[in-house]
Amino acid sequence: MTKLEAVIQPSKLDAVKDALMEIGVDGMTILEVRGHGRQKGHTEFYRGREYTVDLLPKVKLEVVLADELVEKAVAAVVSAARSGKIGDGKIFLSHIDDAIRIRNEERGAAAL
Amino acid sequence: MSASPSLFDLVKLHSAESASIRQAFETTGDGKAAASRRSALVDSIVERLWQEFVATDLQQPSGLALLALGGYGRSLLLPHSDVDLLFLTEAEKPDPKLQDRIRKFNQELWDLRLRVSSSTRPMSECARLNSENVEFTISLLDCRWLAGDQGLFDKLHDQLIPALVKRDGQNVVQLLSEVTKKRHEKFSDTIFHLEPNLKESPGGLRDLNVSNWLSLIAALEKTRTWPSEHNLLPSASREPVESAFEFVLAVRCFLHYHHGRDDNNLSWDSQDEAAAKGIGIPGRTKISAADWMRAYFRHARVIDRLTTQLLDEASPSPSSLYQKFQRWRSRVSNSDFNVENGRILLQPTAAPIDVAFVFRTFEFLAKNGFRLSGDAEQRLSEAIASFDSKSLRTHSLWTHLKHILAAPFAADALRAMHSLGFLVRVFPDYHLIDSLVIRDFYHRYTVDEHTFLTIESLHHLLERPGKEPPSEWESYFSGLLKELEQPELLYVSLLFHDIGKGLPGDSHVASGLPIMERSLRGIGIHQDELETIRFLITEHLAMSATLRRDIFDHETVRAFADKIGTPERLKMLCLMTYADIRSVNPEALTPWKAESLWRLYMAASNYMNRSVDDDRFHAEFEAETLQRIGDLVPKKAVELQKYLEGLPHRYLRTHSPIQIAKHFEMSQALAKKPVQISLKHTRGLYELTLLTGDRPLVFATIAGVLSAWGMNIVKANAFANQAGTIVDTFYFKDRFRTLELNPPELDRFERSIVQVLSGEVSLHKLLEGRGRTATNGPTKLQVATRLDFNNHSSSHSTLLELVAQDRPGLLYKIASTLGRYGCNIEVALIDTEGHVAIDVFYLTWECAKLTGEHQFQIRRALLEELEPE
Repeated sequence: MTKLEAVIQPSKLDAVKDALMEIGVDGMTILEVRGHGRQKGHTEFYRGREYTVDLLPKVKLEVVLADELVEKAVAAVVSAARSGKIGDGKIFLSHIDDAIRIRNEERGAAAL
Repeated sequence: MSASPSLFDLVKLHSAESASIRQAFETTGDGKAAASRRSALVDSIVERLWQEFVATDLQQPSGLALLALGGYGRSLLLPHSDVDLLFLTEAEKPDPKLQDRIRKFNQELWDLRLRVSSSTRPMSECARLNSENVEFTISLLDCRWLAGDQGLFDKLHDQLIPALVKRDGQNVVQLLSEVTKKRHEKFSDTIFHLEPNLKESPGGLRDLNVSNWLSLIAALEKTRTWPSEHNLLPSASREPVESAFEFVLAVRCFLHYHHGRDDNNLSWDSQDEAAAKGIGIPGRTKISAADWMRAYFRHARVIDRLTTQLLDEASPSPSSLYQKFQRWRSRVSNSDFNVENGRILLQPTAAPIDVAFVFRTFEFLAKNGFRLSGDAEQRLSEAIASFDSKSLRTHSLWTHLKHILAAPFAADALRAMHSLGFLVRVFPDYHLIDSLVIRDFYHRYTVDEHTFLTIESLHHLLERPGKEPPSEWESYFSGLLKELEQPELLYVSLLFHDIGKGLPGDSHVASGLPIMERSLRGIGIHQDELETIRFLITEHLAMSATLRRDIFDHETVRAFADKIGTPERLKMLCLMTYADIRSVNPEALTPWKAESLWRLYMAASNYMNRSVDDDRFHAEFEAETLQRIGDLVPKKAVELQKYLEGLPHRYLRTHSPIQIAKHFEMSQALAKKPVQISLKHTRGLYELTLLTGDRPLVFATIAGVLSAWGMNIVKANAFANQAGTIVDTFYFKDRFRTLELNPPELDRFERSIVQVLSGEVSLHKLLEGRGRTATNGPTKLQVATRLDFNNHSSSHSTLLELVAQDRPGLLYKIASTLGRYGCNIEVALIDTEGHVAIDVFYLTWECAKLTGEHQFQIRRALLEELEPE
């Protein structure tokens, strides 16, 4: 099993969710986060005050997948989240040792 | 263990009767009857077991009595509730043989699958209050004799309990209040939960018990004997409370059968099933789960109100500093109202309560934040029932409503108006959202409560004594709220923003607008104010929708800003969005979301200020606007078109059609009188509008004249059309009240402006002649001057954004400096925020943008000119 973590632009969340559901991925966790990569931040002035936007609002999406679904999921996220500009985000993949369904203690891929 | 033959009988009896009770409940849905029958069933079982296991060879009087407590004591036993028993002994320590019999007795009950909660206590313990276990003392208030020594029970019931209440009644009440308060805190002090606990949640069965206990204690304290009347609740509450009680009991009975145990959680699926079976609904009509929960919240609200009222009335002498403060606040009492312990009492009066008095009551409540006493509620309720809705809808209604909405405790007043039926008398359509539930995992509150919370959340942004300091984001939004020119328009928009949810249809906005229109028509709101309200309700989801897009994308910001149109509307919409999200559920407005909302607001505001110059009126594309204003100045379409051509859209958006028509008429008179002036006093400021031909230093000159007269310019806009007519508006405060205290000076003031503009009088001499103090007085906050030039925002002007310490004469200094360097002010947007002047100028020099060198010179000159004195 593989965990897919994607940090994306908030405006792309709906499209990414739809894209994942289309390939059969139903369960996911969404977090509101802040961060930057190369995009960095900028300074905005409003009525004489300086507001530094160094950490930009992003959304982090986490799903745990059966290994055979990973590449499809990556392609779906990339396709839905991409705008071509700096700040589109990143995907991280990591191995998951096990998964357990709390309700009935099912384990492994069956618990996904 | 082999069961006795009698136990087999009891098993059969219990099983058969329980099944019969269940069947009857499933047919009738009568929870009270089911609980009553079950109590009687357990009575007969207990009596049999008592005879068999306890009383066999007991001497009479035995010094031992068996009592029912809790719900069982009230003869109402739900299917899986505990059977609370008390073995009351005369002796301090019961005979070990007796203890053995009691143990066997309890065991038999357990074998019958009855959940027994049994205790053995001596009389002496029952006669005194144990502050560590007030629940036991409270349970004695419901005690009922089941078996054994009747004399012992009578002594406890008739003598010791009344004596205990006489001695410790107030302590019991205080402890009960504390226990109730802690329980409410566990449920966030609200009746609104998606899956409430029918017993423990505020507005649930436990609160009803608390109300009964408080009433009983009050009666016992008063008469020292048990009251003969069974229903001790205030008479005005009895019918709705009885109805609520029957509902809650029916639902609890249903839940016990549904879960198969004593589980009082109204989970999602149990709501579905209860609704499908019409549990608690008259006629057992099947309804939707949302409508069923609406019924639940209506009943919960009744119980919650009653409990709060009785807890307030029973509260002992103030001990905490806050309670002493509450009592001190009774100094706000006046000829209409008396305030005691935080409750409003109506002064005794022979005159019937009229509409004006009712409004005064709610205005008083909104201003001071107290609760109405039970007596006040009853008197108001009776009066309100006699009012005719039509007679309430006069032109003074808006004045009353404004006072209520703008006051710090507006939400509390609205809740009181709603619960007493006054809000629906004033706005009959408000019944549509009464306790209306939106059934999803996001919306915590009913629609009416959500509405009141939106208004409350805005008032909470403003400082109040005793409140925690605001968070970073709250302080930004708080600043916006303080800048609003007419906050009451925002509040009334919130009051109606979701009213359309009470009607079927895809868009609650579309459904709600006609309701708002008819509700607010004819109550004294001006047409342009109604227009703003209409706009806010129509677009109240626009900002949330934009937040789902890329808020750092220029095109997104541009589209949003163009849709909103003016800075004032942008501020209102931002605050509306803040309040709307915040009031969905306590976690909805995360810091992340608040930050995004603020960023979008800033970006849109900056865009609005930086795009004024390029966004101008062109008649060929604006037929509708021309038509709308043209209707006010018939037969002058051509002249009107010429007047409007080239004016920034900001001008059209910040003035009503009536105002624009008036300016147009003024422009038509320029041939006869080259300087046209309109001066009026509105909302604490003077508004000076001036039209004249464009020429150098006009703006600086007007600013200079105002400065010479000692006026403090708070806001100003300067626009010009393609034909070279300028339309400048200045909003100023008359610092020395010259115009107010000397009405003849008004004419002289206007003449002064005309004379200086025409060159008859020297501005320099006028400024010298006045010699007033040049400061606003001491200020703690020092604002550093900041200038930003921008050659990219506008296609043909240089944008100058200037922030400086506000002081009288500032605008004159800035404008005259710009004039000295040959700048033409194409557009000026002048604003003040406290001690900070925030000015935006669109500048050209010889019809072109300013060069870098020119900007440098102007910067140097302005910094020098604006050096603090």
